[in-house]
Amino acid sequence: MSDAIVLRGLTKTFGDTVAVRDFDLVVPRGGLYGVIGPNGAGKTTIIRMILSILLPDRGELSVLGQRSAMEAKDRIGYLPEERGLYKRMRVGQFLAYMARLKNADGADLRSRIRTWLERVDLAGVEHKRCEELSKGMQQKVQFVAAVVHRPDLLILDEPFSGLDPVNQRLLRELVGEEHRRGATVLFSTHVMVHAEQICDHVVMVHRGEKVLDDRLGEIRARYDPRHILFEPMDPAADVASLSTIAGVERVRRDGTAWDIALAPAASPAAVIQRVAAAIPPARVELRRPSLEDVFISIVSAASSGGDDAKLRAAIRDEGDAGAERRP
Amino acid sequence: MKKILYVAQREFIATAGTRAFIFGILVTPLVIGVLILLVPWMSRQDPPAIAGSVAVIDPTGQIAGGLAAYLEPARLEQRRREAYRRIQEAMPSALRSASGMGGPRGDAAQEAVGAVLGTVPQLQVVSLDAGADVSSAKEGLMASRAPDAPGARLALIVVHADAVEKKPGSDRFGAYDMFVRAKLDDRVTEEIDDGVRDAIIGARISRAGLDRVRVEDLTTVGRVSALTVTAEGEGRTNEVLNQLIPMALMGLLLMSVLMSGQYLLTTTIEEKSNRVVEVLLSALSPMELMVGKIFGQFAVGLLVLALYMGLGLIALLSFASLGLLDPALIVFLILFYLLAYFSVGAFMAAIGSAVNELREAQGLMTPVMLVIMIPWFLWMPISRDPNSTLAVALSFVPPISNFVIMLRLASSTPPPLWQTALSIVAGAAGVYASLWFAARVFRIGLLMYGKPPNLATLLRWARTG
Repeated sequence: MSDAIVLRGLTKTFGDTVAVRDFDLVVPRGGLYGVIGPNGAGKTTIIRMILSILLPDRGELSVLGQRSAMEAKDRIGYLPEERGLYKRMRVGQFLAYMARLKNADGADLRSRIRTWLERVDLAGVEHKRCEELSKGMQQKVQFVAAVVHRPDLLILDEPFSGLDPVNQRLLRELVGEEHRRGATVLFSTHVMVHAEQICDHVVMVHRGEKVLDDRLGEIRARYDPRHILFEPMDPAADVASLSTIAGVERVRRDGTAWDIALAPAASPAAVIQRVAAAIPPARVELRRPSLEDVFISIVSAASSGGDDAKLRAAIRDEGDAGAERRP
Repeated sequence: MKKILYVAQREFIATAGTRAFIFGILVTPLVIGVLILLVPWMSRQDPPAIAGSVAVIDPTGQIAGGLAAYLEPARLEQRRREAYRRIQEAMPSALRSASGMGGPRGDAAQEAVGAVLGTVPQLQVVSLDAGADVSSAKEGLMASRAPDAPGARLALIVVHADAVEKKPGSDRFGAYDMFVRAKLDDRVTEEIDDGVRDAIIGARISRAGLDRVRVEDLTTVGRVSALTVTAEGEGRTNEVLNQLIPMALMGLLLMSVLMSGQYLLTTTIEEKSNRVVEVLLSALSPMELMVGKIFGQFAVGLLVLALYMGLGLIALLSFASLGLLDPALIVFLILFYLLAYFSVGAFMAAIGSAVNELREAQGLMTPVMLVIMIPWFLWMPISRDPNSTLAVALSFVPPISNFVIMLRLASSTPPPLWQTALSIVAGAAGVYASLWFAARVFRIGLLMYGKPPNLATLLRWARTG
């Protein structure tokens, strides 16, 4: 069976800006892929090229075995980052229209729409006008529009932005269900935590280029912990002095705790023992790298000393601006 | 193809199914209808009854008597009746019954005539001395005096001494001077004026020793109206309708093109600004979306066209002038609507895709509006001379050609067949060119947000698109 998405050397420029550069990606059928990167990294451009909404300047792609998504549009479900509905249209009519545009015009369309609306806790809104719904409800209606025709490939651009935690969890579950049904799922997010929670494969994008493409487990194993989280029993203890201990490269405050960076080749177990012996700890543990850490380490290594704090803000939920203008 | 139809269907329902559309399309003809009925009714409102005196300084001594006879209420009323009868004869039957003049009988007839003619003024002719002082006589005309106060006048007539008999050595008759009070009803002024003329003519004729009745008899020829001879027979020539039909057809064409084009622009901008366009583009190609939208609004325009066309046919039917409209013209109207709408509509779709809100579209719309307005400016010269060089040349310049050829086809001297055929070909080429342009702009414009582009940018998109 061919792969769901194959991109080879995709490049797209807007004027002088290179939005995506030499981008390769293979998403096997049944995969659950997360494309992550800060806002403006080029995620939406990549997705639009996959969908043939934008045409690449250079490179080749195949989607569901077709040379272009045009030929497979009916088998793709898409939730764009810029969400929109026909304000005056009724929810049921809108969903039926979208399904028909995907050639899903069966006799059971109405009942399928009703079932889906119930699944997203929107039972009974079928006859309401779209403009009468709250923003979160509208977003759920759009998710239904993306899945109601049972797509083989589901592409979600920043699906969690603008949702409250309860609905974020609901959406996570529904995406999981679609994946279990057999759909290939590709979604983008600038919030690394979301990717960590659901996907099994992560593609990191930074400034239009792919900086990482691996299984989540592999990434974690590869980026083995080189930091220890330390909280002294006595808040007044001189934790900074731990930097003189063998195997410790640097000690720095991290909120109420301290972050101890290990020297290259130092054994984490040995350092923990020595640290605990020097100052009685209330808490001492190895820090598992989050995707955020991995991203920061890759990006800082590449650009040799970028603004870490700014980057971290861009890939955390707090920077959930989302609505920037870009073609 | 199925998707295009879905888009067209949604577009049609979303436009023609709104209350605003139904209201607008039904109310406009209704307002026109009400106005047609209301205007004659309003003009029927009685002017205030006028009573007063007309002073005459008459050195000839032969005019005042004739004027007094002319202005007698009974004779005034008789003349008005005569004028009314002539108007009624000239009026088409439908309008006659609409304005309540349709052959009334008995009391109703009296009432209707009275209503239309207004109250007959009561005018009294006062003869002043031949040597009376004109400036003091004018005092009576001042508005400060009530018209019925003693010494007040509605008008002052000063007849020249040589009005009836030429001065020795002169080859021309004298005339008269007329002074009236401010804001005197112009119909009354006209009556008095006519009266003085009539009296002078009467005096001159009898002075020359001729019989007035005989002179009038000899100088009167009955009015006729021309009959148009066609293969179907002879008919009354209706100059007004002959001019009106070409204009109405072209107006209808312009209105429906403009209306559906405008809707296309608005719905495209709406889809773009509420961001629904990206979901649509994941389901169909930009070309499919654009063609679907254009077809949907085409149907809306056709509906408007059919409605107004129907109303027009009903109107013609009630004027018993249906024969004036060649059925082929209706076929041409639909054909040229198709050509004109597709070339203008495609541009509207392109503009709609390029901007973020309606306000930004204004600048880009200017050239389109100009093209649409040209036929209006040229209506007069083209309908006067439908086969002039200008008219022929413009018949081959799309999209103006569609409007111009429609005007010419409906005129009394339609263009030769080859010109019509060439115009259709030119129109079709125009449609192809604007669809090509629009498709390229549409694809790029739809996902372009931010600064609205200018015309040069659109052209660049079309070139590189």
